[in-house]
Amino acid sequence: MRLGTVIGRVTLSKTVEDLRGARWLVVSPFTSEHYKRASKAPVVSKEPSLVVYDDLGGGVGQTIGFIEGREAAMPFDKPTPIDAIDAVLVDKIFYSPMQ
Amino acid sequence: MVLARIEGNVVATRKHPSFEGWRLLICQPIGLAGEPEGTPQVAIDAQGAGLHERVIISSDGSAARAAVGDPKSPARWMVIGIVDETGTGATT
Repeated sequence: MRLGTVIGRVTLSKTVEDLRGARWLVVSPFTSEHYKRASKAPVVSKEPSLVVYDDLGGGVGQTIGFIEGREAAMPFDKPTPIDAIDAVLVDKIFYSPMQ
Repeated sequence: MVLARIEGNVVATRKHPSFEGWRLLICQPIGLAGEPEGTPQVAIDAQGAGLHERVIISSDGSAARAAVGDPKSPARWMVIGIVDETGTGATT
């Protein structure tokens, strides 16, 4: 999973039947530099942002851990066209890179 | 699988239930000489890897699901071993 800052939300009018009512977050992924200053104000990174399915209740400004790829659809009973899911709402990051 | 160095950990109360009780380690992918390559991944760990230790992490979701014991877990990256040494294999 990668970490990222929630920078926005998306709501859909017309959607795939199984995903009606789902929450979607626009997330800006962390780069190594972001880990160092994660405790300070969240910043938008140069990494391409992405839309993440959310059922934990993540909000704008929060840091989340999201999982990409086929694994993102595993919590669903039926095959679902999801490739990124919010898996953890981050409370604290302990980061100490080797000098 | 990639070589990585442990650079910290993440604490989260609200998470997918399958991650309950698992250590979430920040793993910085590295090259053979230990130089950082790309952005860090957060992986689950059952090996007990410590800070700044070198590990191998795997992105195999099916193994991660088996490890957490939940077939519906989105778990993907997992520490699969702690590195003893790396080298070219040359004896002299």
